[in-house]
Amino acid sequence: MSTDLTVSGPARRTPAPPGRAPRSGARWHAAKRKRLAFALPAGIFLLVFSFFPLAQLARMSVSDVTARTLNQPWEFVGVDNFVGSAAQGSLFPTLGNTIAFVLIVTIIGLVGGLAAAILLSTSNLLSAFVLGLMVFIWALPPVVNGSVWKFLLGDAGLINSVITGVGLTQDAVPFLYDDRFALLSVAIVNSWAVVPFNALVFRAGILGIPAETFEAARIDGASRWQEIRYMIIPAVRPTTLVLAVLTIVYAFRSFDFIFVMTYGGPGVSTNTLPFLSYLQAFVRFDFGMGAATAVISVLLVLVLAVIYARSVRAEEANS
Amino acid sequence: MSIMIPTRDAAAVPSATPHPRPRPRRLRRRFEPIAGPLRVVLLLVYAIPILFIVLTSLKDPSDVISSQSSFLFTPTLEAYTAVLANQGLFIAMQQSLTIATGTTALTLLVAIPAGYGLARVDSRITTIGLGLLIVLQMVPQTANVIPLYQIFGAWGLLDQNLGVIVADTALLVPFATLLLRPFFRSVPEALEEAASIDGASTMRTFWSVMLPIARNGVATTGTLVFLMSWGEFLYAVNFFLSPGNYPLSALLAQQVSAFGINWPGLMALAVITSVPILILFVFTYRLLREGLTLGAVK
Repeated sequence: MSTDLTVSGPARRTPAPPGRAPRSGARWHAAKRKRLAFALPAGIFLLVFSFFPLAQLARMSVSDVTARTLNQPWEFVGVDNFVGSAAQGSLFPTLGNTIAFVLIVTIIGLVGGLAAAILLSTSNLLSAFVLGLMVFIWALPPVVNGSVWKFLLGDAGLINSVITGVGLTQDAVPFLYDDRFALLSVAIVNSWAVVPFNALVFRAGILGIPAETFEAARIDGASRWQEIRYMIIPAVRPTTLVLAVLTIVYAFRSFDFIFVMTYGGPGVSTNTLPFLSYLQAFVRFDFGMGAATAVISVLLVLVLAVIYARSVRAEEANS
Repeated sequence: MSIMIPTRDAAAVPSATPHPRPRPRRLRRRFEPIAGPLRVVLLLVYAIPILFIVLTSLKDPSDVISSQSSFLFTPTLEAYTAVLANQGLFIAMQQSLTIATGTTALTLLVAIPAGYGLARVDSRITTIGLGLLIVLQMVPQTANVIPLYQIFGAWGLLDQNLGVIVADTALLVPFATLLLRPFFRSVPEALEEAASIDGASTMRTFWSVMLPIARNGVATTGTLVFLMSWGEFLYAVNFFLSPGNYPLSALLAQQVSAFGINWPGLMALAVITSVPILILFVFTYRLLREGLTLGAVK
């Protein structure tokens, strides 16, 4: 999959020793460096509309900001927002929800993605159709997918009709408004939405295995299970590492499905960290507290980013 | 959903120019007692929700009250006529189109040169820049919407399409840049060197040598940015002060979280929201299938 046929990057060119560099080469090198200027517009844009807002968020998190004082000078209150948020009793359950949510989505997303990729890496019409359908669903707005699942998981919805129809339960299961099921339901729907992307990426990894390898294994009498266990899984290991981080981040940032399906409820049972900060800021109009919760989630993201950078570097050192 | 972080550099990244890719293996057909049925299960898991969006949108509200899961009913276009009779719908369509097109244009305008610059220069600044882009891409959107609401309020950008477009662009530029970079990086540097020896300026080289070669990357990125900004609703819901200006996605989000949902009407709205995505998808599926895996696969 990833044979690079092109010569690129200075890694492949031996730098001429200083002093002896031919003039044209030196000029070329200087012109090359200048090309970093192409990144300048993006740098300025992000400085104004991403980094400045994040700085403002940090300032807000240590200030008393409500809807009324939003555009007035803010009063510095130190860690009051953090303490207040914890004291209200929603912060710690929310942390637990976030961890559970991320775990469920990551596990189902990765296992489901790999399973789907293995199923769909053969070339026949059904596989091609299912893969196309899955990628289409992935491309649909999350609000559309969330809506239909809210419908299917309702009291009189399809899932409950099937469950009660076959006699699994007497009454309809309150998937979305019982605090035992709500988080699990939303997490599973979220996994359903991320599996197509993961399957597509895993599939590319599987297709990258040379056909001769499979043929050799067949001749030696390897079963399909042995192929999966000893050929496919080792081959997609590097992909899995990257996808794991992507899926964790995806699950952690999840907002749309929660908004559409449960709006954080019942109670706080589907509040995750990002969703809680939204509720605090835009429903209870306590922007300071919302900012404080958001800052916690940004700090967690930074930790994730460092872990990610390290694992990528370790992987590179190994290979 | 859509976060991609290119991990390795050029050495590990497929070329932007379509180079011969190993053809999917034609495995000898063998009897598959497990895989066959499982494939059908997978089909059902993804087809049934789509089927129900369409079926429900063709029902009469009274059909939905009696049983939401029946397949037997007299189809009616009532939900569509009701939704389409609403003047607000056309405004919402227009809003969706304006916001998605504006965001795509602005994002590409900023991200294409950035992807090129970061692809061609290897220095400490590049490493730091890439790291920052990855972090920005990981930040939850709610951490942006809170300060942006205040900042846009102070700058007079609330309740305006421009505000939503700028916010969406800020959200998607890191993603777009990181996705574009490997496409530029796989273009042979010798090509540029040759252009420069022929006397082409850096600008000219970028415009008439690099861009045409990396067009697949630009098309993939543009499509994905359009899809994401079409579905984005958090900024729209909060930055527009009245639902009269909402794009389709925000309208849908608002209606589905209301009490007493009119399901056929909602599903009709969902179908109307999805049709442009379907059209775009049909034309770009091939591109997406290859391009999406680019960043994430080593």
